[in-house]
Amino acid sequence: MRKGILEYCILGILDSSDAYASDIIDQLKGAKLIVVEGTLYPLLTRLKNAGLLEYRWEESSSGPPRKYYSLSNSGRAFQKELKMTWEELQSAVTILTTRPNQS
Amino acid sequence: MNKTININLAGIIFHLDEGAYESFKDYLNQIKNALDPQEGGAEIIADIEARIAELFSMRMQESKREAITIEDVNFIQTTLGNPQEFEDESDEAPHTSAGVSAGKKRLFRNTDESIIGGVASGIAAYFGTDVVWIRIIFLVLLFFTGIGFITYLILWMAIPEAKTTAQKLQMRGEPVNLSNIERSVKEELEGVKERFGRFREENQGTGQSIRKTVNKGLNFIINILERLFKLVFKFFGLLFILIGLVIGFTLFVALFGVIASTWNFGGIDFISIDGNILGLNAAEAILGSGIELTLMRIGSLLTLLFPILGLTTVLAKALRKPLANGRLVNIVGGTSFCLGLALLLYAGGNVLSSFKVSTTEMRTVKLQGSTFDLRAELLEESDGFLFEIDDDNLRIENVKLNIKRSFDTTATLAMKHRARGSSNSDARKRAMQFNYPFEQVGPVMSISEYFTVPEEALYRGQELEVILHLPLGSEVYLDPSVENLLYGIDNAHNMWDGEMIGHTWKMERRGLVCMDCEEIDYFESEAVEEQIEALELEIKKLKDN
Repeated sequence: MRKGILEYCILGILDSSDAYASDIIDQLKGAKLIVVEGTLYPLLTRLKNAGLLEYRWEESSSGPPRKYYSLSNSGRAFQKELKMTWEELQSAVTILTTRPNQS
Repeated sequence: MNKTININLAGIIFHLDEGAYESFKDYLNQIKNALDPQEGGAEIIADIEARIAELFSMRMQESKREAITIEDVNFIQTTLGNPQEFEDESDEAPHTSAGVSAGKKRLFRNTDESIIGGVASGIAAYFGTDVVWIRIIFLVLLFFTGIGFITYLILWMAIPEAKTTAQKLQMRGEPVNLSNIERSVKEELEGVKERFGRFREENQGTGQSIRKTVNKGLNFIINILERLFKLVFKFFGLLFILIGLVIGFTLFVALFGVIASTWNFGGIDFISIDGNILGLNAAEAILGSGIELTLMRIGSLLTLLFPILGLTTVLAKALRKPLANGRLVNIVGGTSFCLGLALLLYAGGNVLSSFKVSTTEMRTVKLQGSTFDLRAELLEESDGFLFEIDDDNLRIENVKLNIKRSFDTTATLAMKHRARGSSNSDARKRAMQFNYPFEQVGPVMSISEYFTVPEEALYRGQELEVILHLPLGSEVYLDPSVENLLYGIDNAHNMWDGEMIGHTWKMERRGLVCMDCEEIDYFESEAVEEQIEALELEIKKLKDN
């Protein structure tokens, strides 16, 4: 489950601004959503291969060139869709878990 | 002095201590092994290498060092994590690796999509199949044997209900990754969405707080609606049950007929002379409706479950959706096969044991007159089947006719009825129960080609030998209709049964003599004896010379 949410979160992060892997990792780590960085790379590649993400290379002062990821058009649409689903899920879970004992 | 090794990571050269190099090489290999088989694995590895290069550069700059030590490699390992955890749960791959991210799948009852107790949909969720198939299996089991009912009850009691959201997710156990996130999340919430659909329409554009309040207010209405839906579902379920009952019964009859008719109990052929396969009649005649029948039904179905499950597995493979728990399927299939076989053997043995003892019972009827025209025209409608069941009676077509000399002055008809049973008394009781229809009108003696026993006596090797005892001098005409009944009748001409029909026979001291045969006596004993005597004489003469 965490993985699905991770993907949603990645799309969410990229929705507000383009980012490169390290930025995404920092944000996810800050939210305590990710424990090890290695998990992220396969996800990013898969999202990219699914046509949801695009990337461009940017030179870096401290190391090899970086891949800057951004949402593609379909990624943007998918992110909106996920957002709706997520909100529904959220309210559903709230209702389900706060509902008095069901028979 | 420390030896250093140079490596190139994402286009940047790093110097590694020997120890650090070994450790790093191992780690990188682990990553490659974990990611290489995946789609886009090479790209992921390149990304990770770039990240490592970046981290190494950062650490070198910070500490102003030249060579990378084992500490740096350890830092990389803790930052990036265990390669096993990167493993990408792609949608098609069965979940085998330690279950780190997806969590272990557990069997729950899915009461959200239930008709009765949610057992079937829970199982469907567990195996990742469509609930329809599981329901069909239950229905089939239910209507064939009722075993589905018991199984369902046991499962209902044994499997916990998925109450919390966590349990509901565990029930499906699917790793929710990108390729199926849409499906997983949306499908799981389909029911919830439906329930809130109406509510949402009413509340679009209104604030979250109002939404919550209305939600609470609508909750009990939703509950009631839910129950109503369930009732409707149950009604349809009942309808399906009835349809299933009819289909199931028909299927069963066909199936069991085939099973029963292809078997061969104690050498009794179920295939009639005409080549017709005795289906239901044989099964009913032999098994009745006792426990053996039930056991055989259960047994045959359990045995069948194995190929059915096998077929399911093959189908699943063909659809490129391997069963999540192939081993369990195999175990269940194998167990049910063995169990079914044991039941079949047990029931079969029981039935066989009731064929153990054989006894005969004789009934004799005096006949009028001394001239007979013997016909098998009474109730001769034979369709070539060994068994026929009508009106609580089992018709058995196993009659043999013999003609013997009576040492009395009147003709008699003797009926020797043989039957088998599990014990002497059982066999005797059965042997006494039979009815053989015949009638005498003047010289015309009509007999039938079968006899009947009460249906509950079942078929236990019953056979009837009908013996016409004729006093000396009386005559009998054998109508062609009795041909099937004749069974090695002795006569003075040593003629075959088939040749005897259509002629009139007279009982003489030397046996039955044909009164109107054109070509006879070629086997007559006197003539043969004379010939032998003549030959012996000639041999003697030759020897003497």
